[in-house]
Order: sequence, then structure tokens, then C-alpha cells
Amino acid sequence: MPLISTRALTKRYPGGVTALDGLTVDIDEGVIGLVGANGAGKSTLLKILLGLIPATDGEARVFDLDVGRDGPRIRALVGYMPEHDSLPPDVSATEFVAHMARVSGLPTSAARERTADVLRHVGLYEERYRAIGGYSTGMKQRVKLAQALVHDPRILFLDEPTNGLDPAGRDEMLSLIERIGRDFGMTVIVASHLLGEIERVADWLVAIDEGHLLRTAPLGSFTERTGQLIVETEDDAAPLAERLAADGLTARAEGRALLVELASAPPSADGNEYAVYDVVRDHAVDLGLPLVRIEHRRHRLEDLFRDRTDASAAVEGGPDASVA
Amino acid sequence: MRASPEPTGTIYDIGYRSYEGPRLGRRGAIDTIVRSGVRAAFGMGRSGRSKVIPWGAVVLAALPAGIAVAIRVLVGDIVELYNYDNYLWGIGALLPIFVAAQAPELVVNDMRSNVLPLYFSRPISRRDYVIAKLVALSLSLLALTLLPLLLLFVGRVLAAEDIVTALGDEIGVLPGIVGNSLLHAVVVASIGLAISAISGRKAYAAGAVLALFLVGSVISQLLGAPGLGLEGLAPFANPLAILDGTREWLFGGGAAESPVGAADVPLWLYGVATAVLLALSWGLLALRYRRVTT
Repeated sequence: MPLISTRALTKRYPGGVTALDGLTVDIDEGVIGLVGANGAGKSTLLKILLGLIPATDGEARVFDLDVGRDGPRIRALVGYMPEHDSLPPDVSATEFVAHMARVSGLPTSAARERTADVLRHVGLYEERYRAIGGYSTGMKQRVKLAQALVHDPRILFLDEPTNGLDPAGRDEMLSLIERIGRDFGMTVIVASHLLGEIERVADWLVAIDEGHLLRTAPLGSFTERTGQLIVETEDDAAPLAERLAADGLTARAEGRALLVELASAPPSADGNEYAVYDVVRDHAVDLGLPLVRIEHRRHRLEDLFRDRTDASAAVEGGPDASVA
Repeated sequence: MRASPEPTGTIYDIGYRSYEGPRLGRRGAIDTIVRSGVRAAFGMGRSGRSKVIPWGAVVLAALPAGIAVAIRVLVGDIVELYNYDNYLWGIGALLPIFVAAQAPELVVNDMRSNVLPLYFSRPISRRDYVIAKLVALSLSLLALTLLPLLLLFVGRVLAAEDIVTALGDEIGVLPGIVGNSLLHAVVVASIGLAISAISGRKAYAAGAVLALFLVGSVISQLLGAPGLGLEGLAPFANPLAILDGTREWLFGGGAAESPVGAADVPLWLYGVATAVLLALSWGLLALRYRRVTT
């Protein structure tokens, strides 16, 4: 039984905006990156799973409970860090987080104890006794994370957790998320439009686009090696392609480079996977063709959104890409 | 314990501890919101200044009862300024003052600082949240309604020569005292909370609550002016007069000072008016909280 599952989940907002359009996905334990452009439906999905907004159509289950009927039971065991500012300015972090722990159903003494623990884990020390209104954005993000963690949920929903943080703060937040996934034994769902960040923390990706599921797979499979060798030369590579074809290798031009299908290579006697590299090198030397690089080609996370002009504008690849 | 505060990084990391203890779920959540609501209503955990109005109102509300009891003990049964029937009408002005100052404390902050998504992502529904706040404010108002009436009750019993007989005589009024106190508390709390929730700012909310009761009272007095022939309408402009009429309808006993006597309309009309007040307040609350975007 998957931890979270949706079937043909659809959400249309009044006014005609369709945020989710028949989304069907199963999510299991781990650190899950929920990626997609701004407006792809990430926040809407989280809010439906939390029972904060009703779905227009379809089904969503968490812990095999229906989100519409069993909202309170689900919400006792999940934590939510919303995207936007959501903290009262005039109380201290300790007071606020302990209060939220009790609202999550923890008895007072347990709430107090866990508040101290969790604030230490997110890195708030002496400042936790001061009013939240005076905190920096980074500290506020930590409080938001702490209130989501304090009742030891089984699933943690984080909506753009690095929003508004400077590079150092973002780095700390990502380390924290990594640690939560690794050491706290929680499933973490991180919604983000920053692929570089997701790549760093997630072990599984759920990519959505315009309310549809684009792909769900382990992170590794998004960046795994393709079955192609990319050969870049300084001059025209057409003669090299002919030579390779004569050897039975499939090679086609892509821009200035050649893509050589590894599967088309005859298995080498000694099982050396670099045998094809040698063939390419020898032909290039023979032709006097200057080689720039020979490399096993990898998928990139950005490829997922590359052909989608509208989406690619908002999904940012670089690790330091800023929020659009 | 940590040996020192560490801006430089964690020194002793005991690792994450999971929680295996009890989870009180929805009831625990509602209970927490009610308790913190009552604390907020009395300015607890806040500066001394925020305690002035709520505690001042509590003291002022009980003062007439204290005086009445003192007179009874010292002088005897000669004057009766306040009895169970006219007491809440007499201290009526304190209820709107308390609610105007304190109802916004319960709801406006959560709304303004956008904390509601954090509440609603916990084991409660929106309705649970609103009901918990209503219960909190109503319980707090009992300090102004039930407490003085009980003081009056205890004083009358203890001041009697034969306490046991007096207790037997007076005990019958207890259900009326409790019912009347609850009636006033719940209705005034509902009105105050609804206005606060739609006002969005504490100052506006306080002003609007005061204005409603003040304007209502003034209109009521104008309508009740002799010679106009509108005495029958007068009580219905003032929520406190409506409550007094409902009290008389449910528990009997006229309060000479209230416009209910002069109006001389069937008492059940006050019950209807109270129901309308509650329905309006609760409807406003439901609408307002349905519109909260998370």
C-alpha cells in the first residue's frame, strides 16, 4: 500500500483555472521531490492531501485514508510547512511551536519537551525566547519547519522551503531536509521549482506539469547514463560517421557532435566497455580529425522540461538559480 | 544540557528522538484552542496593560453583588438594589466593553499573520476552530455573568440566619442563574467574535463592537421615549434588551429598568430575536472562515 496515492485527481478553481487535471500517482517512503513549474499544481496537490481544499474530482488517499473523510486522522500524523509567511509576530518561537504541538494533539509536557528538541534540531537556540517578529527570514523558515516537525509526523510536506533564503540559508535548509529524511525516519515531500535543490535532497522525483504527471521515478533514473557516446570534434565529423558506420556502429549527427549508439557496438572480447572509445579514437587519428571530447552521455533533470517552452521558463536548473 | 550556546554548530547532538506517546487528536486540539483563547481573553501571558480591561470588567461586574451582599450582612434586608433578575441588565454595559476589547485578541491575530493554514493542517476542521474560539470567549464572559450572580447567591445564603433553610429557599434559582449567564455569554460572545472576524483589524473590530451596542442602546432609548408609541419596538434595537426579554421569557421575573416591561409584547418574540442574532453571528463566522485561503 503506497503512503500516498491519487487517482484521476482534479482541481478546478472557481474562475476556470485547472490546477490539477486527472493526476494519478503513487508515492512511497523516502525524500520525494515534487517538481514542476510555478503553477504546475504542486501546492494544490499538497493542500488537497492535507484536506485544506477539496478536490473537484478524483480520489486522494494518505495512509490509505480518504483525505475528504478522514482529514483529522491524517492531519494528526503529517506536518506542513506552507510556502508563505504564516507566523504570529508577537509570540516567541518556543511558545508558538509548543502551542502548535498541542494543537496537533500532544499533551502539554510532551509538547514542551519536543519543542525544545525540535528547535535545537532546526538550529534555533537562545533566540527562541524572543518574539518571532524580530527574526530574519532564515530564522522564520526554521520556525515554520519546527512547527511542522514538532509532533513527529510520518509525512512532512514542505512547500518551497528555501523561499526567500540567501544562498547560505538555502544551503542550511537543504542540509536540514537531507538530515530529516536520513535520520528522522520521516517521508519528506519537497515541492520546489528549483531542480538543483531537488537534485541535492531527493531520492525520488515526482514531476508534474500543468496538473498532469510527467514522470515519477528514482532521482538516479533522471540523470542516469544514456546508451550513447557523445563525440565532439573540431572539424566536420561526417567522415568519422561514415567510418563508424562501416564498422557497424550507429552514429548520427547532433549539432556539431556525433552520437554513437553503444548498443550497436559488438561486444568486445575482454568485456572492456571502453572498446568503443578506442575505435572512435583510432578512426579520428586516422582521419587527422581533432577530438574535443568523448563522453558517455547522461540525462539531465532539465531535459524533463526542456521541450515544454512554457514550463522551461519557470523551472530553473542551476543550483544557485534564484526564485523567479 | 548543552554546555554552551553554539553559533558555531552543534556540539552535542543526541540525535532525533521520535514520539511514541499519546496523541489526543481533534479533542486535544480543540481543548488547546479553548484554553489559549481563555488566556487571551484575560490578557494572560501578555503585558500588564492588556489585563486592565478584562480584569477591570470582572471586578466591576462583581462589585454590585459584593455591595449588595455587604448591605445584607451589615444592614439587613431593607434595601435590595440588585436581584437575580435585574443584575445582568444593570451591569450590561460591561459585556460589550469586555468583548470589544478581548474578542479581537482571539481571532484577529491568527487571521492577520496568516497562521490559519497551520491550524487547519492539524487534526481540526475550520468549524472546530471557530467553535473552540466561541467556547473560549463564552467561558470567559461567564466571569462577568455567572460569577457575580453566584456571589449574590452565596451572599444571600450565608447572610441568612438559618443557612440550611436559606439554601433550601434559594437553591431553586440556580438553574435560572446558570441558564441566564450562559445565554448572555454565548450571545454576546457570538456577536463580538463575528464582528471581530470580519473586521480584520483589532482597532476596527473593537470600535465596531462598541458601536453596535452603543448605537443599539441609543436607538432603543429614542424609540422608547414616551409619547411616540414605539415602546414595543424599543427593546429590539438593543441586543442587551433582547437578551433581557429572552431571560424573562425563559426564567421569568421582570427587570424594572429594562425596556422589556414597557414594550409589552409577547415574550417569545425575544426568543426569536435571540435566535436571529445567533444565526446572523454564526452565519457570518461560517462565511468568513470558509473564505480563508490556505
